[in-house]
Order: sequence, then structure tokens, then C-alpha cells
Amino acid sequence: MPANKSDDIRIGVFICHCGSNIAGYLDMEALGSYAESLPHVAFVQRNLYTCSEGGINEIKKAIGEKNLNRVVVASCTPRTHEPLFRSSCAEAGLNPYLFEMVNIRDQCSWVHMQEREDGTSKAKDLIRMGVAKAALLEPQNPIMSEVTPRAMIIGGGIAGMTAALALANRGYEVVVVERSDRLGGMLLNLNKLGPSMADAAELAEKTVKAVSCHPKITVFTGSSVTGVQGFIGKYSADIETPAGAKKIDLGVIIVATGARNLVPAGLFQYEGEKIVTQLELETRLKKGLASSLKDFVMIQCVGARNEERPYCSRICCQTAVKNALLIREQAPGSKVTILYRDMQMYGVENEEMFRDSKARGIRYVNYDPEKPPRVEGSSVVVYNALLGREMKLPFDLLALSTPLLSQEDSDETGKLLRVPVDENGFFLEGHVKLKPLDFATDGVFLCGSARFPANVREAVAQGLGAASRASIPLSKGSVVVEPIISVLANEDACRGCGLCVALCPYGALEIHKTEKGRKVRVIDVACKGCGVCAATCYQHALTINSFTDDQIEAQIGAFLG
Amino acid sequence: MCTGRIDPALAAKAFRKGLDGMLVVGCYFGDCHYISGNYQAKAKLDMARKLFAHIGLNPERLAFRQCSSGEASVFVKIVGEFTEKIKELGPLGAGADRFEASKLTKKMDIAEAVLAGEKIRWVIGKRTPFLQTGNMYGEIFTEHEFNRAIDMIIVEETEVQEILAGLREGAKSVKDLAASLSMPVEKVFRHILALKRRGFVALKRIAGRSPLYTLVPQEV
Repeated sequence: MPANKSDDIRIGVFICHCGSNIAGYLDMEALGSYAESLPHVAFVQRNLYTCSEGGINEIKKAIGEKNLNRVVVASCTPRTHEPLFRSSCAEAGLNPYLFEMVNIRDQCSWVHMQEREDGTSKAKDLIRMGVAKAALLEPQNPIMSEVTPRAMIIGGGIAGMTAALALANRGYEVVVVERSDRLGGMLLNLNKLGPSMADAAELAEKTVKAVSCHPKITVFTGSSVTGVQGFIGKYSADIETPAGAKKIDLGVIIVATGARNLVPAGLFQYEGEKIVTQLELETRLKKGLASSLKDFVMIQCVGARNEERPYCSRICCQTAVKNALLIREQAPGSKVTILYRDMQMYGVENEEMFRDSKARGIRYVNYDPEKPPRVEGSSVVVYNALLGREMKLPFDLLALSTPLLSQEDSDETGKLLRVPVDENGFFLEGHVKLKPLDFATDGVFLCGSARFPANVREAVAQGLGAASRASIPLSKGSVVVEPIISVLANEDACRGCGLCVALCPYGALEIHKTEKGRKVRVIDVACKGCGVCAATCYQHALTINSFTDDQIEAQIGAFLG
Repeated sequence: MCTGRIDPALAAKAFRKGLDGMLVVGCYFGDCHYISGNYQAKAKLDMARKLFAHIGLNPERLAFRQCSSGEASVFVKIVGEFTEKIKELGPLGAGADRFEASKLTKKMDIAEAVLAGEKIRWVIGKRTPFLQTGNMYGEIFTEHEFNRAIDMIIVEETEVQEILAGLREGAKSVKDLAASLSMPVEKVFRHILALKRRGFVALKRIAGRSPLYTLVPQEV
């Protein structure tokens, strides 16, 4: 940071009243005159609403008339308003990264509504810190990178196939990598799809055919992804196929690796003949039940919602109810009893199916996990809390509803793609509400049961959703990345040790050879600006744009007065 | 920016400038947009707390807590508790720390030099690889083993930085350094030899029978 630069720093401070949100609780006049007293501040203005058209115009006018080269707005939260103020600066010809925002509403006036004096004093601290940082801000330029118009989808189940078709139909090349030797995934084992009772085989056949015949889709079955390098727009994947290894350039990746069903070995005397899983029951129903079967019992939450697997697999209840209805169709006059802990029947249609099943005489018995049912010979004995005694239910076929588990290698897939998995091994989305089908890593998306147990309808919806998200960078053809990222500020100091490379959560750092020896290089588009590298480097060679050591130090210094 | 950006050397600098307490609040583990930054933050701040305790600053002045952005009440509780704690400890050097304020300032200079220094940053940077994938020989360390190493390095690096700070005042003999730092002569001698080997310290002249050592200016 050149020292002489500070001579020409001219900061404009705009203090927003936010109607009465700020002005109602803080002494605005005092804040205004205080800001005027701060170093490098050339102009101070208070606005009723700085974000209004009038307020924005005042900023733009002042940049020109007062010759401002830094702008500080003390108002609400950067989460909603920083982009607006930045673009206003840009419109007035000031580099948008010479703007600093101070939050005196959410973090000050709203918190200290009863403490006018202390609140005002805190707002002064915050403004002083913002001004101190602003004086050291440097202009930055947004980073652009091209996007290879090709997507890779890992997993050829219904979610992956749906995403593949959606992208291919939009004209992008798609590569589907399926581990098993045929497309279809778990859909191939299913019978009817609730609640519409559509035929699973029909859907599978139709979709597999569409994917296999699509001119834009290349399918690799019996194949797996062994390596992924690069970043959004410029990924490159190593794929191990039966015909040998392939290397393919990609723009985006969709994870649709699905899930597997828990085989309840050792639970309820499971043996796969008379005592089967709900999934095995589906296969039996597909073939048609033997007419000798009259008594059916199902046990829900087998191997689920316990200490080892605390989560609810979501779709087992609706599957059990659906299969109970199908049993009654195939074997009229049969008895079906479902032993459950809680019925998870979300959505109007599932709710209706549930009511319908009760009307058709399917019996539901609640059981207490403290007193679980047990199998005695050809009967299930369960304690019925309503009756206050044990019931004995004879069965010809016992179906155990076991949860979907994450794929055994989901952790490895996660590492390969640098995306996180949760404690149960399911992939963790970028944000549960705001980015449900994106990963925090740009250019990687997810759908289907790889994310969390999903029924076919949900898998299809998520497949379409992930394809939609993935097509944003594909259709733009380029990505623009926020330049608040890591930079090698002092190349000479870097020893190319790679300490930072190992800790980067995004794989955004790499070592390359230069004339001066091994040095680290920041892959701009992959970096998210977390700053771990800057806090780690023992040579202090790396820093983060707009969060440099100098700037943070200046803020701390300003805070301490 | 993530809590992982927080350089422990900056924390030392802030305390040297008179900060009474520093609270870092990050996401829960596994729940962070920056994936693993909060793990790094916690490791570095834990290390800084240990160093502060060793050097004489009450380590409770620096805290790392976790809450999610949706947990306003948890956040308020965390901030409230920390504020109460700092009020209880009082201003820097007023009794809750091992030294009074002016001495602490000098100690925090040493702490900053340790935390900005190569050795400790290298080791803390290697923490995740050492615990997860092992060192270059594939040896994986337990948390306990790693912490023991950190404890040892904190002691050694503090001694080294105290010696360097002593020499900054002018050339000194091992005996004088040992006396002014209340450190055993052998220990000072060992550090001086190591520093000399690494090119940080050189023999200036021999006064009587004692060699005087001086700092070698370092290029950045």
C-alpha cells in the first residue's frame, strides 16, 4: 500500500435515516457532524432513504461535484443493499469496489432501541471503522471466464436421466456416467409409483430410451468418475469406462448418484423370503403375489430413526401405504397391518391415499420404539398402547420398511468434487432454502436421493430443477465472479510450499512453476474469498481483496481509537 | 469472508493496542457456506488462546463460539455472556491477567511475532493434513499428539521471540540475555545457535571472554 496515496483520498459518507428505522433511535445530527470530523472525509450527507432514487442520485451527484474517490454508506445491511450502492458508484464512474457499507440499522439502531446514547456512540464507532477501511480500499475488476457448453451427470437414475434430457433438449451436450451396466437406477426395481399408481417400468423404459437415443447425450455405463479438475465452466473429468479411460472437458456437473436401501440383516429375523424389505415387496408385487398369501404385516422405521441413523427416510411411509393398497387389489380379502411410529404422509395426495387406505380397512397400529415389535415364528407380537396389551399378528409375508442410505462412496465422490456431505453421508446443498439444488461450489449441482431420500416424483422435479440451475452458466456462455478473492500480493515471498493449497476448501489454489521457482496461483473463478489461505500463509504472501491485513488492521485501530 | 480469514496475529495486535476482549462467532461445523473455514478458525484461535495463556494474557479474553444465522436468541446469549465475562475480567492488565497493562503490551508484541512467525503457522497449517491424511510418511497424528506438539512449539517460539526482542535493543551475550529473560543459560545458548544457523543472528564481537550476538537484518 503506497503511503503517499492517502493524500488524495476523498471519502463521501452518506448516512441513511431509513425513515425512522435509524433516525428514530440514534442522534443523526451527532452522527453527521462526527463523520465530518473523520480523516479523509470530504463530504457528508444525511438522507431520509439513501436507497431511494433521490438518495442514489445524491451519491452520484456528489461523486462528480465533490470529486469523491471513496463512498461509505451507513445504513442497513449489505446483504440487500450493497449491490445497489455499488452499481450506483459504477454509474457515476467510480470503481464499485471503492465502496464500503456500514450497518447502523440491523446491527445498531434495531438492537439498541432503548439506548439512544450508547447506540449513537456505537454507530460512531462503526462509521469510524468503515471510513478507516474505505481509505485503504483498492479498485477491483470483475472476473470473467468462459463456460464449456457440456454437462456431466453422475448417476443414470431417474433424477440424472431427467436432468440429462432437460439439458440435452436445450441443446447442450450431456455426458451421463452410470456405475452399473444399465440406466434406470432404483426405478428399475419399483412397481407402481404412488400416489398416481403410474407404472414404473413404463416410465423407466420411456426415459431410458429417450436418453439412449438422444443425439446430444453420451452415456457411459459400467463407468465411474475417477478424477475432476478445474472450476465452473472449465471442469475436466477423468472417466473410467469399459472401453478405457476418457478425459472430458465440461462446464457444469450434476450429482445424481442416488441412494441405496438398507438391508436389515439381523433385524426382525429378516431372511428375504417370508420376511422381506419394502423394496423386495415392490418386486414381488410387480411379478404378482402368490395367491396363498393372506396375512400381511409391515413394520415401519426398521433400522431408522435410531442412534446410528437418526434421520427419517421420508418416503417409506407413503411406499408402505401404497403397497398396502396394491396388496388389497392383488389379494382381495387379505389382511394388511402397518406397525408405525409416526406416519410421514406429507402433501395433499399422500394424505388422501392414507385416508383411503384406512377406509379400505388397512389397519394401523402404533408402536413404541421402547417396546418394539418382535417376530415369533410366523407372527409379529407388538405392544398396543391403546389396548394396553400385546397383540399377536400372524403373517404370511412381513415387509420391513428400511430407510434409504447414502451411497457408500458418497464421501469419496464429495472429495472428488470438493462438495460436502452431511453426517449421514447425503450431499449437503448450498443452502437449504435459497440454494437447494446447488452446492456452495459453483458449477456443481445435485438432485434426487443423493441429496436426501426422494420419491420418483421429487427426483424428477429435482432433476428438472438442477438442469435449470445448471443451464444458467451454460446459456450465458461465461461466468462473472466477484473479485473479492484471494490474491498473491507478494509473489517474491511465496515459497510454493503448498500449505495453503491443501487447506483451500474450493481447490482454488495451485502450485505452478515460474521463472522464480514454484509459486502459488489463485484460480480466480474458483475462489470464494474465504480467506483461510491468507490467515495460513507463513510468508504473508497471500491476501484477500477488500479484506487485506492492512484494511482489517485499520478497522481494529479505528475501533480502539 | 469467513472466520477462517481471522489471522491470529491480528488478534495479538488488537490486544496489544488495548482490546479487552475478542469474540469470534462462526457457523456450526458442517453447516458453513465456506465448507471448512470455521474448522481452521477454531484451530488457529485455540492455538492463540494457548499462547496467550502461556505469555500472561487471560485466554478467556479471546473466544470462539458457534451459532447459525437463524438463531438470534443464541447469538444474543453468546454476546451477552461474553460481555459479562469481559466485564468480570475488567480492563487489560487490571488483575485478571498475569501482568499489568504496560508489560502486557510488550508480551503481546512477542505473541504477535510468534503468531506471525513461520514455525507455528506452518504447523497449524499442517494440522488438518496431519490429522486426516498424515505427514509425508503417511503417519496420522492424534489430536492429543498434535496438541502436545503445539504446546511445545508455543513455549519454544516464545523463548525465541523473547531473545530476538532482547537483541533488538542491541548486541548481547548469552549470559546477559539469560539474566534479563530469566531463562537458563543453556536454553538461550541452544536458541542462539539455532538462530545463528538459520541466519537470524550473528556473532558481533567478543567482549572479554563473552561472545556478543547481534541481529542480522532480514529481507522480506
